[in-house]
Amino acid sequence: MKPLRVGVESTKLANGLDVVVAPDTTAPVVTVGVYYKIGFRLEPQGRSGFAHLFEHMMFQGSANAPKMQHIKLVNSSGGLLNGSTSYDVTNYYEAVPSNALERVLWLEADRMRALKVDDENLKNQRDVVKEEVRVNVMNEPYGGFPWLDMPPVAFRNWANAHNFYGDFADLDAAHLDDVQAFFKTYYVPNNAVVLMLGDVKAEEGMALAKKYFGDIPAGAPPPFADPSEPEQTQERRGHVEEKFGTLPAMAIGYVVPKRRTVDWCAMALLDEALHGGRAGRMYRELVLEKQIAVEAGGGISDLFGYNGPTQMTTRILHKPEYASQATLDAFDAVIRDVRENGISADELEQLKVKWRSDYYATLEGGRGGYMPKYGLMHLLACFTLFDDQPQLVNTILDGFLAVTREEIQAAANKYLRNEKRAIVFRTPVKASAPASAGEKEAA
Amino acid sequence: MASRAVEVAVGVPALAPERAVTWPKRTKTHLSNGLELILAEAHSIPKFHGELFFRSGNAAVADRAPGLAEMAATVARTGTKQRASRQIEEDLRRIGADLSSGAGADTSAISFSGLSEFAEPLLGLVNELAREAAFPEAEFERERRQKLEEVKLQRTEPGFLASERLRKVLFGAHPYGQVSPSEAQVAAYRRDDLLAVYREFYTPQNGILLLVGDFEAQEMLKTAEKVFGAWSGKKPDSSAAAAPANPRGRRAYLVHSPGAVQTQILAGCHAITRKHPDWVKLGLTNSLYGGAFNSRLVMNIREDKGYTYSPRSGVTALRQHGYFSVSAAVRNDVVAASLTEIFYEMDKLRSVPVPEAELADAQNYLTGVFSMGLATQDGLLSQFSTVALNELPEDYLETYRQKVRALTPEDLLAAARKYLDSANMQVVVVGDRAQIEEQAALFGELEVFDAQGNVLT
Repeated sequence: MKPLRVGVESTKLANGLDVVVAPDTTAPVVTVGVYYKIGFRLEPQGRSGFAHLFEHMMFQGSANAPKMQHIKLVNSSGGLLNGSTSYDVTNYYEAVPSNALERVLWLEADRMRALKVDDENLKNQRDVVKEEVRVNVMNEPYGGFPWLDMPPVAFRNWANAHNFYGDFADLDAAHLDDVQAFFKTYYVPNNAVVLMLGDVKAEEGMALAKKYFGDIPAGAPPPFADPSEPEQTQERRGHVEEKFGTLPAMAIGYVVPKRRTVDWCAMALLDEALHGGRAGRMYRELVLEKQIAVEAGGGISDLFGYNGPTQMTTRILHKPEYASQATLDAFDAVIRDVRENGISADELEQLKVKWRSDYYATLEGGRGGYMPKYGLMHLLACFTLFDDQPQLVNTILDGFLAVTREEIQAAANKYLRNEKRAIVFRTPVKASAPASAGEKEAA
Repeated sequence: MASRAVEVAVGVPALAPERAVTWPKRTKTHLSNGLELILAEAHSIPKFHGELFFRSGNAAVADRAPGLAEMAATVARTGTKQRASRQIEEDLRRIGADLSSGAGADTSAISFSGLSEFAEPLLGLVNELAREAAFPEAEFERERRQKLEEVKLQRTEPGFLASERLRKVLFGAHPYGQVSPSEAQVAAYRRDDLLAVYREFYTPQNGILLLVGDFEAQEMLKTAEKVFGAWSGKKPDSSAAAAPANPRGRRAYLVHSPGAVQTQILAGCHAITRKHPDWVKLGLTNSLYGGAFNSRLVMNIREDKGYTYSPRSGVTALRQHGYFSVSAAVRNDVVAASLTEIFYEMDKLRSVPVPEAELADAQNYLTGVFSMGLATQDGLLSQFSTVALNELPEDYLETYRQKVRALTPEDLLAAARKYLDSANMQVVVVGDRAQIEEQAALFGELEVFDAQGNVLT
C-alpha cells in the first residue's frame, strides 16, 4: 500500500479570509475555488430557494466586471467556471490554464468586494432558475426524488425540512434588497475560503491572495441559526405522486452520526457495505438475488460536505408486481441481517480497500468529467470551513481504515432503527402493467 | 433583438505567458495476438484507468436486433467459466476496482480503474470477461427483465424522446436511426444471439487496450503480454450500411407528452465525422454558436431572455456519419420565440464574418479547455481513446491547438454555411401538444407522435 500525501499550505489573512494552496505541476492548469459558509439550509424563512437563486446572481455582475463579463473573461482565458449550492456551503470555481490565475483571482475578489446587480438581472435569473427546476424536477420522471421529497418528511426544523430549490411563490417574492442583504451578511471574507490547486507555487498563491483579497473589509460574524433536530422517536412516512414514471418507488433515510466521530467512520463503511455498487448488499439482495427492484442504491451523499443533520438514504424503484410492503420487507431483511450478524472480516477488508481507492479517485477527480481537482478542492474547503484543519485531507482516511467489525455492528444497531428513519413513497399516477399477472410476495 | 448593451470590465489583469502544454509519451504496440496496446504513464494518484475497446457495436448487428451489442456487454460481466456474478463483484471490491461494460453504435467496451498495486489481478479479470464470459441463463433472464423496465422508463424522459426522434429523422433505416430497442425487441432477445455477438466482436484483432496511470510502461507491457497474450481470434467481417438520405427542407416533429410543464427542443442536421478535415473548423464554429457558456446562443436565450437554463449545441461524430444539433428545455409559451433565436443565431453566423476579437476569445477557450484533459488519468484516457478509435493522426493532440489558432473568420463563415444548415434543420419538440403545436408548426410541416412512436392525427 502506497500512501498518498497531498502538499497543502494554508493561512488566514487579517480580514479573516482563509487561503489554501495545493501545488501540483502535473498539468499547466490551475483550479480556483471560493467557498462561502452558507448554503440552502440556513437561507431566510419565507425565501425558500434563495441561496441558490443568489448563487446565480453572483454571475450577474460586480463593481468592475459587469453582467456577462465573469463568464466571458473566464471562457476567453481558456477556462471553465460554475458554481453550486448545497446544504452548508456555496461554491464558485474556475479551472483555467495557469497563466490566467491572476485574472481569475481578480474576478473572484471583485465579486466578494461588491456585487453590482439590478432588477433586470434578478428577473432574468429568476426565469432561468424556474427552467432549471422544471428541467431537473417538475418535468423529469422521479425528479427531485428523494433529495427534495425526503426533507419535509424526515425533519422538523425548517432549516432542514424546507424546499431547497424553492417554491415559485418564494422565488417571485425575492427582492433586490434581499440579494444585497444576503450578500452583506454571509459573503464576507471572514466567512469564506479561497483555494488554488494545481500549477501554482505556494508562496505565489499566498502573495496573490493577499494582493487581491487582502483589503476587502471583514464583516460582522454571520449569524447561524441552530439546525439541530428534536429527538425522533417514531418512524415518519410521506407520499408523493409520480407524474411521469411508471415504476413505484420508495426512499428510506436514517440520520447519520455527527461528523468526525468513530460512529461516523463506522457508518461510512456500513454505507459502503450496503450501497457500494453491485457488490453492495442492497443491490445484491433487491436487484440481483430477489429481483424485486430495478434500482436500489444511494447512501450518504457528500459525506464530507455537510455540517448539520443529514441522512443515509436508499432509493428503490421496484417492479410493479411487488407491493410496497413486500419491497420494504425485503429492504428490512437486509438491515436486520447486518444488525444481527454484522459483517465478516473478509467483507470489511474488501470495503476498506475500495474505500481507499475511492478516496484517491475523489482527490484527483473532476466534476462531471471536467474541472480538474474538484474533489480535492471540495474536501479542503470543507475541512477548512467546518474544522479549521485543511491538513485533514492527509489523515482523515486513517479513521476509516481503523474501523472494526464490532464498531460497524454497533453503528448498525444504534442508527438503523425504525424509530430513527423516514420513508417516502413515490407512487406513479399511471401504474405500469405488471409483466406477469398478480401481485407477488417477496421471498 | 432588444437586448441591452454589453458593458466591459475595467482593470482586468493581463494573462501571464503560457506554460507549455506537453502530452505524455504514449507507448503504442501490438501484442503477438494482434491486440493493439496503448500505454501512458500518469503518476497523479496510485491508480490506473483502462479501457478494452472492440471496434464493433450496436450498428454492426442492427439487422439482427437493436441494442444487441449493449445487451451482450451487459450480460458478459455477469459470469465467467471460473467466477459467478457475486464472485466477480466481490473480487472487484477486494482490489478496489470499478468496472463497467457497454456498447455504443460503433464500439463495445470494458472500462475499468483500480489501484496500481492490484493491476495484474484487475487485468486478469478483464481478460476473463473478454474471453470466457459464460452468459449464465438466469443472469441473462434477469438482465433482460431489467432492460425491459429500462426501455419503458426511457419513454418518460423528454431528453430521450427528443434524441430518439431526431436520430430516426436524420438516419431513417440506417442503423444510426435506432437508438434503443422496443419492449417487444427486448422480449425477443435470445441468449444465443448475445453469445454470437460476443464471439464475433470480442477478439484481440478487433480490440484496442488503453492503459493510463501510475505504472512503469515497460513493466505494464510485460504484464499485458502475460495476461492477454494467449488469447486469439480474428477481426469480424464488417460492411458499412448504405448511406442514409440527408433530409431536405426544414420540418417539425412533435412528441406529445401530456401534462409536460416545459418543452424540450432538439434540432439537428447532417454534419461530418471526426476524421473529416473540417472537424476543427466546425468545432470552433460550434463553440462560438452554442458550445460554451459565453457562446452567442447561451447569452441570447439564457442570459438575455431567460427562456431556458441549459441551452447547448454540439457535434456528434459517429464512425460513418456525424450530425450537428442544438437543444434547449424552454418554457411552454416561448417555444416559437426560442426557435426563432436558435435560427437567428445560426443565420447570423452564416451571413456575417465573426469579429476578430470574438474569434480570438473562442480560440482561447477551445485550446485552453483542451489541455484540461492533461490533469487527470481519465482525462488522458479519453483523449487517447478518441485518437485511437477515430484513427486520427499520431500527432493529433500535439497539433490540435495550432490548428485552432490558425482559423480565420472566413473559415468559420464557410463552416457555418456548410454545416449549420438552417434551411434543412429537422426540429423536434417534446411537450404538451395543446400548448405547443401551433408554435412548432411555424417551423415546418408538422408530424405529431406519441411517446411510443405512433403517429397521432
